[in-house]
Amino acid sequence: MKRLSLIVGMIFGICILFTTSTTNAMVYLDVFGKSYKKITIGIPPFKAEKQDKLKTDMTDLLQRDLDFSGFFIVAPPTLIDKELTDEGIEKQEIRFNNWRSIGIELVCKAKLVVNNEELTLESFLYDTFDGSLMLAKRYRSRTGEWRRMVHRLADDILQAVTGEKGINSNRIIFASGSKSRKDIYISDIDGQNIKRLTNHRSICVSPSVSPNGKYLTYTSYREGKPNLYVFDLESNREIFVDREEGMKVGTNWIGSSSTLAYSYISGRYSTIYTLDVEKRHKTSIMRSEGIYASPSFSPDGSKMVFLSDMHGTPQIFIRDIPSGSTKRLTYSGNYNSSPVFSPKGDLIAFVAKFEGSFEICTMNVDGSNQRVLTSGGINDSPHFSPCGRYIIYSSNRGGKSTINIMLFNGENKKTLKLTDAEETQPKFVP
Amino acid sequence: MKYLSVFFGILILINLGCAQKSVQIPPSDQQHLQSIQQGKYDFQGDSKRKDGEILEEELARRERERLKDTSYARKDYMQFKDILFDFDSYSIKNEYTGQLDTMVKWLKQNKGMKITVEGHCDEKGTVEYNLALGQKRAEAVKTYLTKSGIEASRVNTISYGKELPVDPGHDEEAWAKNRRASFKLD
Repeated sequence: MKRLSLIVGMIFGICILFTTSTTNAMVYLDVFGKSYKKITIGIPPFKAEKQDKLKTDMTDLLQRDLDFSGFFIVAPPTLIDKELTDEGIEKQEIRFNNWRSIGIELVCKAKLVVNNEELTLESFLYDTFDGSLMLAKRYRSRTGEWRRMVHRLADDILQAVTGEKGINSNRIIFASGSKSRKDIYISDIDGQNIKRLTNHRSICVSPSVSPNGKYLTYTSYREGKPNLYVFDLESNREIFVDREEGMKVGTNWIGSSSTLAYSYISGRYSTIYTLDVEKRHKTSIMRSEGIYASPSFSPDGSKMVFLSDMHGTPQIFIRDIPSGSTKRLTYSGNYNSSPVFSPKGDLIAFVAKFEGSFEICTMNVDGSNQRVLTSGGINDSPHFSPCGRYIIYSSNRGGKSTINIMLFNGENKKTLKLTDAEETQPKFVP
Repeated sequence: MKYLSVFFGILILINLGCAQKSVQIPPSDQQHLQSIQQGKYDFQGDSKRKDGEILEEELARRERERLKDTSYARKDYMQFKDILFDFDSYSIKNEYTGQLDTMVKWLKQNKGMKITVEGHCDEKGTVEYNLALGQKRAEAVKTYLTKSGIEASRVNTISYGKELPVDPGHDEEAWAKNRRASFKLD
């Protein structure tokens, strides 16, 4: 096995990569196929010079991350006996037929070196079928940031196996609080590093972060009226406020630009505005009687899905921006709401009302192939991960509204542990 | 502003009162003056001061009545209960037109009053659509009032979507109460 050496800098930030280039083109799992089989992975306890809690915690976290991803069955620790655990981490030390015999398809081995305040994690991922090396990477981190390091390893394993990075290093924003006091929070996806971004002693709703991560938008009642704010996260300053009389809500950013779209409802009319945040330039792109809300754009900005009650009940429509032609997408049921484009532009997630419940659904861009992904309760605010494979949403099953995540096909639902309060309107931070 | 205008009003009235001294006394007032001179009124001091005192008392009485009216207006206002809506609807039900007509009368009687109509929704449905729907509920009430002759500038609207329920319950009884337009004096 040849090893190409490639150094990616940054002392504490990124890792050193020294893996074969042959694995790059290989996608083990086509996750966008109709169905897929989960891969069984064995993760024996990390090696370390001394027995300490840290290496156990790290092994646990990696197991949890890979289980969370929905693409793996993580072999239970009881399945991996002492002989397998005691093996070395190098290829020549591993008896792959032993791993194969207990049904394990991939094995991830790692060695932890603790040097003062610096951690080094040397990790290898092998295919037990032929013993081929799929990933070999060395990670470095400060002791206090070991979780982020393990998340990076998990995301790289997902990259090697599925062809796309995982979401374990991603962050999310959401609204949380009690009646009449609701703020915007940011958090790692595993619920660590939760930070409150607003402190208005008022109601804040509908947060979103620009694709470049620089701007935060939300609607806040801070000044007594629901005004729309754009906040510069770098300079910690408000750079734009829409104080027009009426409701301004539902910001979504267009492609990778610094332009956002939102809805303005006042008097008999609704208006969809786009706002170029850098130029502070506001444009009306649609104005009609009734409710027009929740605009969301295809990644190239050529199509916009939105909600309208122009036919009496809330339904989802798509507008071709260059031609201006509008087409209705939803015909079943009398309540279809909160449409959002996937970042690949191939799917639209939305909320549909059924007998007493509101469910997260997906459909193709032409309205075909509508699928219901949740079952029961009030599910709301679907939003795709930047890779397009996951949908984050809120759900009030069990009385309290929580943030949940699932694969785009509805599998592998998990509730995120964030705050103790009601949590709504989650979005991925790009 | 209100206090300023009242203050100026008083000043003008006092001036008018002073001005009256030099003009001819109308017949009705002559009678009035006679009765004073005949000692039917138990005033002390000269007639100049009497005139001023009567006007001041009259003003004080009017002011007391005005304040009474305002507090009555506020009390009257309290009778305006929430207007309830059907699920996913912003059309005003027939049963509430009576109350809105009373409100129109009240607004016409109390020209100085401004109100805010708050639109609310139940917990069902999506956050964003409900914020829009709440706005439409408030606007529907405003439209009813303005069509009945109330100036649009006296009716503000605001939507809280499903953020501020009056009943925190999770059943139809609670939802019905929460799908509402409520009123606030500005």
